[in-house]
Amino acid sequence: MATITENIRKEVKEIVYSFFADECEVDIDRINDQTSIINDLDGDSLMFLELIEIFKKKYNLDIELKVIGKYAVKHPVATIGQLIEMQLLIIENENRLMDLDH
Amino acid sequence: MSNNQLAFIFSAFTSDYADHPGRNITGFESVFNDFLLQAAASADPELANFNFTENTFHKDELLTQYLTYIYNCTVSLLLRKANVFPVMTAGYSMGIYAALYDSGSVSFETGLTLIRMAYQCMKASLKGKFFGMGTIIGLNEQDIRQLTNQSSLRVEIANQNATHSFVVSGYHDDIQILLALATSEGALHTRELGVTIPYHSGYLIDGSEDFSRMILQLKISTPVTPIISLLDQHLLTTPESLSEEITRNLFNPLNWFLTMQAMQQHQISGFIECGPSKGLARNAKFVDGIKFFPLSSILP
Repeated sequence: MATITENIRKEVKEIVYSFFADECEVDIDRINDQTSIINDLDGDSLMFLELIEIFKKKYNLDIELKVIGKYAVKHPVATIGQLIEMQLLIIENENRLMDLDH
Repeated sequence: MSNNQLAFIFSAFTSDYADHPGRNITGFESVFNDFLLQAAASADPELANFNFTENTFHKDELLTQYLTYIYNCTVSLLLRKANVFPVMTAGYSMGIYAALYDSGSVSFETGLTLIRMAYQCMKASLKGKFFGMGTIIGLNEQDIRQLTNQSSLRVEIANQNATHSFVVSGYHDDIQILLALATSEGALHTRELGVTIPYHSGYLIDGSEDFSRMILQLKISTPVTPIISLLDQHLLTTPESLSEEITRNLFNPLNWFLTMQAMQQHQISGFIECGPSKGLARNAKFVDGIKFFPLSSILP
């Protein structure tokens, strides 16, 4: 469990932006919070999985992938901004992510 | 790159040619078209009508396999002509036939014959029953086995791509049930594959017996480059071991994840994906230390 500081928020945003710029071979300046991951970047679930692994390692997170999967079914992510918000929730809540719905 | 020990890897079913790497490679189109015409003459005349943008035959399983094979063989030939040689190769699923061609074990035409024989033997052995395959990303092996066992589904794990990425094969209805259950269980993604043959599962054991008899009439030579087995990660260096592999891999599960790690242990420091997509390179991101070279960085 981590408290989300402005620094963490900034760091997560930078990682997500640069990850998609690299993976999808697009200029980072063309990505913003409203960018659609599927329609604009041709992103997919493997990228999502890879990104989760990056954050798990970076923040030493204790979270099962299927907890994220269950949460994502109820709270689908379509844009880069939504993805960043979900990553912040994962970092903040780890395996207690689903408790947010109760 | 010259100091790298390279492995070529060959993909199986690919019908997405958007941004395929060969489009910017000098000489690719010419070699591809030569192979395409040879294949049209010896395997299926319909292949002559293939077009990368408008007519990819993506709904035809057999033509898709031929085309991926042709693509793999084109890249293999171009790499070897450019004096880029692998120290070993691997064929993902039905990509093994391109690995056989690359290693000089079979001619281009024999590779096409193997694809056709495998497809026809497997199709006939299924006796009109509906089968399929699917992918599950985000669950582990234990989760998938538990879901399968709990509902007595006629589905088997056909391949592991990463710790949380699997391919499953089985009865079509049960594949659909499993994918739905996997989503409820928290899979990040599930997808039904557009195939009707449950490759790499026990459902193909009868068909593989016919196949093993038929391939006796084909010439399979000693490979100039070892091919790594996706079944047990051993190096295949004899015609006998290759014949056994292409039969056994029809009805036994593969493990691509372990195969990539085994290649690393053989001091492979760089990989080249020879197929039309980047699917195998992307899967490899879940194995630490794997380095893929884009085709454009090797061929002009």
